[in-house]
This record gives sequence, structure tokens and C-alpha cells, in this order.
Amino acid sequence: MDKLKPIFARLNKFPRVALVVIGLFVALGTFAPWLAPQDPSAQNLLQGGAGPSVAHWLGTDHLGRDTLSRLIIAANTSLVSVGSVLIIAMTIGILMGTIAGYHRGWVDDLLMRVVDVGLSVPSLIVALAVIGIVGPGYWTMVLALALAWWPMSGRISRAVAVSIMSKPHIEALRVLGASPWRIYFGHLLPGTIGAVMVYATADAGTAALAVATLSFLGLGIQPPTPEWGQMLVDALPYLESDPRQVILPGLALTAAVIGFNTLGEAIALNRIPKPLTRRMLAMRRIEVAGWGKENSDA
Amino acid sequence: MTHRPVLKVENLQTRFKSVQRGKFVHAVDDVSIELYPGEIVGLVGESGCGKSTLGRTIVGLEKATSGRVLLDGVDLSTLSGAALRDSRRALQYVFQDPYSSLNDRQTVGEALDEALQIDGIRSRADRDRRTKELLDQVGLADVVKDRHTRELSGGQRQRVAIARSLAVNPRVLICDEPVSALDLSIRAQVMNLFLRLQKDLGVACLFIAHDLELVRQAASRVYVMYLGKIVEHGPSQELYDHPSHPYSQMLLASVPEANPIAERQRKVPLMVGEVPSPTNPPSGCRFRTRCPMAVDDCRQQVPPALKLSPGHDAACVFAKDLHRGKRSALLEADANAERVGALVPS
Repeated sequence: MDKLKPIFARLNKFPRVALVVIGLFVALGTFAPWLAPQDPSAQNLLQGGAGPSVAHWLGTDHLGRDTLSRLIIAANTSLVSVGSVLIIAMTIGILMGTIAGYHRGWVDDLLMRVVDVGLSVPSLIVALAVIGIVGPGYWTMVLALALAWWPMSGRISRAVAVSIMSKPHIEALRVLGASPWRIYFGHLLPGTIGAVMVYATADAGTAALAVATLSFLGLGIQPPTPEWGQMLVDALPYLESDPRQVILPGLALTAAVIGFNTLGEAIALNRIPKPLTRRMLAMRRIEVAGWGKENSDA
Repeated sequence: MTHRPVLKVENLQTRFKSVQRGKFVHAVDDVSIELYPGEIVGLVGESGCGKSTLGRTIVGLEKATSGRVLLDGVDLSTLSGAALRDSRRALQYVFQDPYSSLNDRQTVGEALDEALQIDGIRSRADRDRRTKELLDQVGLADVVKDRHTRELSGGQRQRVAIARSLAVNPRVLICDEPVSALDLSIRAQVMNLFLRLQKDLGVACLFIAHDLELVRQAASRVYVMYLGKIVEHGPSQELYDHPSHPYSQMLLASVPEANPIAERQRKVPLMVGEVPSPTNPPSGCRFRTRCPMAVDDCRQQVPPALKLSPGHDAACVFAKDLHRGKRSALLEADANAERVGALVPS
């Protein structure tokens, strides 16, 4: 573990690498249907388990499906499902959190007790229970994960909302006689969304892992739709004869998760408002130089 | 100053639930003050005596437990919702910290524009014109409008905050230590701005401060507050020359002299002990636990405010003696003597 520490420390210093990885992931995910060189579901049992070739750059799996295409399409699956989970979870969480933070009092107590109940149950178990009741499926998984995910974002956005509400600039608005709508939609909601988005970036990695986990267990994305977790479980019986089929989706998943975490951390650190950014300082210098000129002209 | 007060606070009480079960923190207790149009009134007292809570309760940032706030004769507690927001707009508040009282995401123009929108100015052109006017009033260049508030210095930010309060044409400005977060050099500028605005716009100003010298220079009248109650009130010159409540005397005597020789010879009456907890305020006179003159009577009942001269009153049983110049009795009183019933001035 000690040997790994400097590697992690270095990784944290390169949010740009994380940005590229995540950028690649998002780009591949978005344009996957056009980028995938071959049909990811086209089987060719005669070429099952083949190594890299001109036709199949990363080889084929045991059913002879093109691994590269499957990896790319899996990025799309992952992106869409993680995005949906987070959007649903954050919408519920931010709404409940900001309402609790705005109203305080019994509304706050009630909503936060609900959040407490949600937080007290491990999220994967909630998801498993929901899937167990409704039955496995793509949207079932998304909804189940969203259901498991929202309490955390609710708790975070409530904390952010409370801190924003107690800031003097909100009090100043109240003294000015601003309507509750203006305070809520004009100041509280944008401020909270901005802060909670940071947590969402870091959370995206965990969500991607959860999607893969559920798919690995056969409870999430169903075959034949390619998904990293499901590719892993597909290739598991051939671990000894063809480890590449396990390693490749594993690497993709690892890169995405670490990328999201590093990026989230970097964004969180950069978001501490600086009095003046480097660009502003440079502009200020130019402006001040301009003033001098005006004075000498006069 | 014969006309009606623009702001009248009657028997205002604000208390908070204490961490101790079933107990309350009496932050503001039975306070009545008046503000006339166009005057600056000081409110002084130690930290934690409830000055800020009083100001915040007046503008509605804290809920009053009882009592009334009358603005131009209208009882604000009878209003609610939009009507309350519209009436209360004439009552503005300037915060102590200019760094957090402005939204960092907004530019100066946006902040002022929003205040004008709240005030109900529909036309964009009108708002732009008024923004320009406001910036001019507080002595800021027009280019500042496009700056983010985080790019400004403390003094500039406080000017923007003042401009924002003025945007809604207030009749009363409650300033909660508006200059104590600023540098000394900027402080004078902002103070002069206040004096000018009060003269030009006729805005009445309640100036909450712990800088006694500042209040003496700016305010025409002063209220002295101790542990949630007003202990003395009077015209500032009169009050500074003849403080008639033991607490005011001690407060004023604790201001250091600028002259080092005078400072060395100065006798400072020791203020014994800490401010008692507002959760369990002392019975009777609240100052009795620290007062070198306290007698048995002080424990029994709350001393009523005694009229000493026109507009000057103090809530102390010895107020009349003290007003006549019994200062020495207090200064020489042994601070270590037994508190209650020990010292009765002759």
C-alpha cells in the first residue's frame, strides 16, 4: 500500500489525465453507435477467443464477438445508466434538500428523518431488494440505484442549502423584501446545484461501479447488451485460457472509476473561490498600465 | 424633531430556545426605542448584549416574542406575506461583514439590478439609470458595475451593500457595525458617506457599534444597552458628558486616552466578573451583579427609567445622584468589596 501512495499522489496532481480519460469515456459513450467498428452482437463461433487481428483489433470473445466494439458500446450503456441514475437521484435529493434547508423546522425534521432511513440501509441492498421484487431489467436497475442513491445527495444538498440560507447575502435579500420564489430559484437552487454537482462527479465513479456490480451479478443490464460488468462475468469461465477478455473490461471500468474520483476531487479543490484568478490578475495589470498612460497624456 | 417618529419599537422582546431544556436566552428584553426622520442614533453596549439581535428583530430577521415595531405608525406585526415585505422594505439593514453580504456570483450591476427589480421597477432602462445614480451616490465609478463583487475591496463592497440598501428608497437604515470590518483609513470614508447620505436623503439611521468615539461623532442620540435592556438613553453630548447609569459610566471610562500621560493617570473602574448569562439574567436590575453601587433594592425590582433632563433617562435608582456628578463614588468604590448591599453612596 505504501508503494502505491506516491502513485496515487501523482495521479491526484494530474486532473488533466483524469479529464482526458473521462472526456474519452463520455465521447465514446455518446458516439458509440457510430464509433464501434463492428456489430457488437454479431457472433462468429468459428473465430471465438481469437487474438488481436486487423479485423478485430482487440480480438474476440468466446462467441466470436468483436471485443473493441463491445467495449465501446459498453461505455455508452454505462454512461447512459450512470447519467440516468445520478440525474434522477440528484433531482430528488436536491429538491428535498433545498426544501428542507429553506423551510427548516418540522419540514426539515420530517424530510431528514426520511433521508436518515434511506441512509441507514446499504444502497446496494436497497437496489437488490427492489430488483428482487420487480425483476431484473435495465430501467429497474436504474430506478433501484436512484432510489438507493438519493438520500446521500439529499443530505449533502440540505447541508449546502442551510449554509447558503444563513449567509448574510440571503438575509440581505429577505430584508430587501425579495419573494420566497426569487430567493429559492434565483439564489438557493443555483448555489446548491453548483456545489452538489461536485459531489456528483466523484459519485459517478461509484455509480458506474454499482452498475457493473449489478450487471456482474446478472441483476442489471441483461445480455446481449454489452456492459463491462457483464462482459467480466461472461469471460470469467475462460479466465485461464483467455485472460484478455477479463482484463480489458476490467481496465476500462477501473479507468472510468479512478478518472471520476480524481476529477471530482480536483473540481472540489478548485472550486474554493479564489479572490483573483491568474487571468484576472493579468487583465488587471494591463488595465492598470492603461491608467498610467491616460494620466501621462493628460 | 417635534414630528412623529419614523420608527417606533415598543416593548420588544426576543428570546431564543436555550440548549438547556425549557429555558430561554433573553437576547432582547422589553426594549423601546424611537427614531425620528433624518437622525443618526447610536446603540452601544458590550459584545453579546443583544444590540445586533435588536437590529435583526426590527428588520424581521429574527422573530420577536412580543412587542411591536411601528413603521410610520403602521404596526408591522399586523401585516404578513407580500404586504409585510412591501412595508418592511422601507427598513433596511447594513451588515457588518461586506464580504458575505454580497453574492459572489453576481456582478455589482446584477446585485443592484436585483434590488431594483424587487422594488418593482419594471423597465430595464429605468433600472440601469437608477443603478448609475446609486453608484454615484456611494462614490463608486460606473465601470464597477460590471465587476464581480469578489473583485472589490472591503470598503468598495460595503459601498455596494449600502447602495443596494438605498436602491429600495428606505426611510430607516439599521447599520450593524458597518465599519468595524474595514481598515481605519477606509472607515472614515465610509462614515463620511453615511453622514452625507443621511443629510442628502433624510434617511434615519440606527447605528449599532461598540466604537464609542465613532458614535459620539456621528450620532445625535445614544442608547446604551446591557444584557438585553436599554439602561440609558439621551442626547449624545449630554450622555457622554454626564453618564448617569453606572454601566454607561464604566463603559465610557474604559475608553483609553490618546494622551499617554493622561492615560497613565486615568482611573479605570474595574468591571468585575463576566456578563451574566442571558439565559438566567439576574433578578431586578440586570447590572447589579457587576455594579459597585448595588443595594438590596436593586435585587428586588427592575429600576424604572428616571427622567434626568429632556430626552435623557437612565434605569438606575441612583441615576439622579450620578447625573449630578457622583462619579467619584463609583470610581473609588472598591471593586473587591462584597457586591450586593455593601456600598451605598452617601
